[in-house]
Amino acid sequence: MDDAEAIERCQQGEQECFRHLVERYQKRAVAHATAILFNRDDADDAVQEAFIDAFKAIGTFDTARTFYQWFYVLLRNRCFKLTAKRRPTQSLDESMLLTSQSGISGETTLGLEKALHSLTAEEREIVCLKYFDGLSYDELATHLQIPRGTVMSRLFNARRRLQRKLVPEQEV
Amino acid sequence: MKEITCEDVLMSQMAVADGEQPQFSMQQLSTHIAACGNCQHELKQSEALDQLLAGHTLSEPRVDLWPAVENRIAKRTSAAFHWRPFALIGLLLVVYKLLEMLPARDLGLAFKLVPLVIVVLLFVLIRENPFRINTELVLER
Repeated sequence: MDDAEAIERCQQGEQECFRHLVERYQKRAVAHATAILFNRDDADDAVQEAFIDAFKAIGTFDTARTFYQWFYVLLRNRCFKLTAKRRPTQSLDESMLLTSQSGISGETTLGLEKALHSLTAEEREIVCLKYFDGLSYDELATHLQIPRGTVMSRLFNARRRLQRKLVPEQEV
Repeated sequence: MKEITCEDVLMSQMAVADGEQPQFSMQQLSTHIAACGNCQHELKQSEALDQLLAGHTLSEPRVDLWPAVENRIAKRTSAAFHWRPFALIGLLLVVYKLLEMLPARDLGLAFKLVPLVIVVLLFVLIRENPFRINTELVLER
């Protein structure tokens, strides 16, 4: 079953077809929510709530968009509601956000995660979508519903802060 | 022509590294960079950061949210239909009251038992025994 068929059948009242969408996108959604919230338990909660929101609103789904693009708006709304209420509490003793390629030490990865932790949730989100998901500036503008100029300045500021945290230790 | 600042150059160089169109021409950028030690230093740091980021991906955790989501959807669906029997009982009571208010009409014993039937129906619906004694109740001292 593809997404379009699953969505159409959900819209006709076949709840079981929603399972296809949850199982297909839950890992990616939890990874994105963890990037914003920096807390795995909160990320699971936010993703669960976002899927419930998606189920309620599936009748209004715009078929011109992909499911995940539409769902991501619901997910980030849930995440930012949570960030307003809670502070990240998870300790950073081990990597929970990133996987490194071979040749990169665990210490380096942990250092990068700590630097990401020091950013604001919005900066962390844009860095992750740009450098780990590979979205273009135009795609970021659509995903985050902000102008392209804001994409560039937010990314630039986030990178600067990461550089200040990381690069002196990397001996440029 | 607008004067180009270090921030303009660094933001444009970031765009170039990200495969996007810069705001300024490559010639303008390289002229500024060649004469600016600060930009040269910042660009070295920026390259190191790019290399570090390129060596990582987002972890996709093991997760199975479907049972919890399914449970929430089922609860929501059942809750949506739960009010209907109560609405029906309410409607029956209103109709009964209106009929009772009709002047000089004796509708018989069966009609007088209708409220009792409705009350029994209500207790069946909410699955409660009205004769059960709640042993957990404690008198306040």
